[in-house]
Amino acid sequence: MNTHRAATEAISGFGMDTITLAGPLEAKLAAMKDAGFTQVMLKANDLVGHPGGLGAALQAVKDSGLRGTGFQVLRDFEGLSGHLHLYKVDIAKSMLEMCAALDCKVLLACSSTSVHASQDLDHIARDLRKLAMLAIPFGIRIAYEGLSWGRTINEFTTAWDVVCRADCPNLGLGIDSFHIFAAKTPLDEIDYLDPSKIFLVQLADFMWQETKTFEERMTTARTFRVFPGEGVHSEQLVELVLKLDALGYEGDYSFEVFNDDYQQMPLPMVAERARRSALWLAEDVMRRSMPLPNQMRLKPTRA
Amino acid sequence: MSDLLLNPTEGREPLQASFSDAANPLGLDGIEFIEYATSQPQALGQVLEMMGFRPVARHRSREVLLYRQGDLNIVVNAHPVDARGAGHGSGVATLSAMALRVRDAGAAYKCVLERGAWSVTTRAEVMELNIPAIHGAGSSRIYFVDRYKEFSIYNVDFVPIPSVDQHPPATAGIHFFGVVQYIGPERSNDWIAFYNELFGAELIPDEQRFGIMPKGMLLRVPALDPANRFMLQLIEPELNVVDSDERLQRIGLGVPDVLAAVRALRALGVEFVETQAAHTEQRGAISKTYLGSVVFELVHSEKA
Repeated sequence: MNTHRAATEAISGFGMDTITLAGPLEAKLAAMKDAGFTQVMLKANDLVGHPGGLGAALQAVKDSGLRGTGFQVLRDFEGLSGHLHLYKVDIAKSMLEMCAALDCKVLLACSSTSVHASQDLDHIARDLRKLAMLAIPFGIRIAYEGLSWGRTINEFTTAWDVVCRADCPNLGLGIDSFHIFAAKTPLDEIDYLDPSKIFLVQLADFMWQETKTFEERMTTARTFRVFPGEGVHSEQLVELVLKLDALGYEGDYSFEVFNDDYQQMPLPMVAERARRSALWLAEDVMRRSMPLPNQMRLKPTRA
Repeated sequence: MSDLLLNPTEGREPLQASFSDAANPLGLDGIEFIEYATSQPQALGQVLEMMGFRPVARHRSREVLLYRQGDLNIVVNAHPVDARGAGHGSGVATLSAMALRVRDAGAAYKCVLERGAWSVTTRAEVMELNIPAIHGAGSSRIYFVDRYKEFSIYNVDFVPIPSVDQHPPATAGIHFFGVVQYIGPERSNDWIAFYNELFGAELIPDEQRFGIMPKGMLLRVPALDPANRFMLQLIEPELNVVDSDERLQRIGLGVPDVLAAVRALRALGVEFVETQAAHTEQRGAISKTYLGSVVFELVHSEKA
C-alpha cells in the first residue's frame, strides 16, 4: 500500500461538513475529494441554494462520488402543539425527502431552542418517535443532538434520556464534541450509552476554555469552531474519541466546523487542515491505519 | 393465524389472545383487497384465473379489474400511471397495495397520520369513493376501507361484468393468510416498529412459523374478528447479497388441506416449486414465479 492510499484508508471514517467551506457546492465537494475525503456531511442550504436548483445539486453530489455521511439540519421540531407542530411536520417531511434523494441514511435533528415548545420529556419523546416513524419507509435514521443552548435538552445525557423514552429503532443520538465541551458534560457519561444507538459523531473544538452563557456558546459555535487538534480541548477530544472507540462506536465522524475565518480562505487550504486533523485522529489517536491482527473491526454495511 | 387458537401451545390452560381496543386501535378487521399494478393485465389475469380467481367487475373510470374467489378480492390495476409508478417502469406486475378493513376509515387515517404515516393523495373521479391511503413498503400503498359490511366499495366504483357470478366460490378453501415483504439489510426492527405503531401488529415468537418459507420476522395484524387477523412476514436479504430493495413480494393463501389444494390448482394449470429447498408438503407449498414477479404461497390454515 502506498502512502497516499494508506492515508486515504486511514481517514475514510472521517468527513467534512459543507458548512465549513465557502463557495459553490461543486467546489466544496472537489476540495474535499482532493484532500482525500470519501464522505461529506451535507446541509440543506447547499442544495436548495444551488444556482441550477435542487436537481443539479443532487447530481453534483452523485457525480462527486462522495458518500453522504448525513444530512442536516432539522431544528426545533419537538415539543410543539397544534399548528406549530403541523408546520414542523411538513418541514420534517421535506427534509426527509431531500435526505432520501441524496441517499443519505442519517438526518440530524437538533434539540429545540424554542420557548413555545413543551419542556415535558415525554412530549418531546413522543414527537421524536413520530419523526422516526416518518423516516422509516425511507430507511433513514434520525440522529438527535442536544445543542448546548437547547432550552430543555442541552446535553447528550438528557438527549439520551428522551431517545430511550421514545424507543424507536431508527432514532438515536448525534454527538457533537463542541456541545459537550461547551456544556462541560462529564465524559464518563459516554460509558452509559449504547454504541449502536449513536448514529453520528460530529467533532469540532474551539479556542477558549469557558463558554458560560447560552449566547456565548451560540456565537462561538457559529463563528469560531476549529478542527480537532487546533483548539484548547485536544485532551478531552482525544478522551472522547477513545471512549467512543472503546465503547464500540463504528459509525462515521464528521467535522462540524463553523468558522468565519475558514469561510474566507481558499478551499484547498481549509480542506488540508481538515485532512491534517483527520490523519491526527486516525493515526496518532486511534491508530487506525494499520489494523493489528484481531483488532480489525469490520463495519456493517447499511442499506 | 386461526391455527393458533385451534392448536394452543402446550400448557394447562390454553392461552387465548386478547382482543381489545388497546391492542387494535384502528379497529382493523382484515384485508379488503390486494392490488397488483401491471402493464400486462391480461397476462396477470390468466395467472389469477389459474389460481382460482374470477373477474367479476370493472372500474368505472380506470383500467382496473376486480377478481374474486370466496372472500378474497384482488384488484388488477392497469392504469398506465399506476402500473409504471409501482413497478418503477419495469413493466412487471407488482403488489402495489393492500386495503385494510377498519371500523372508521376517517378516524383510522387520522390516527396513523398522527403517528407518523405519510399520506398519499388519492384521485377519485366524480361520484367515486375517496379511499384514504398511506405509503407502505417501497412504492406500495395501504388503503383504509370501512364499507365492507352492508354494502361494499365495489358497488360504487365498479360495474359488475354481466352474467358473471359475483361471488365465485373459493377453490380448495382458499382464504387470505398474509403478505410477505422484502426489506433492506438490518431493517427488521424498523418495520416491526412501523407496523406495531400504526396497526398494533404483534411479533410472533421465532419458534412459531407457518408454511414452508419460515425465514425472517413474522407479525400478526390484529382484527375485530379473530378469524380476520393476518400475517406480515418481513424478510431481509441474505448476508452475502446486496439487495436493499423493499417491496411487497407475495401473498400467502391459507388452505385447510395443502395437498388437496395443490392437486386442485395443478389441475387448473398452476405449477409448484419442487426442489430440495422448497417443496409441497402438508404445511405449505409455493408456486413458481409467473410473469417474472408473481408468486403465491399456500399455507396450511383452517379458516375459523
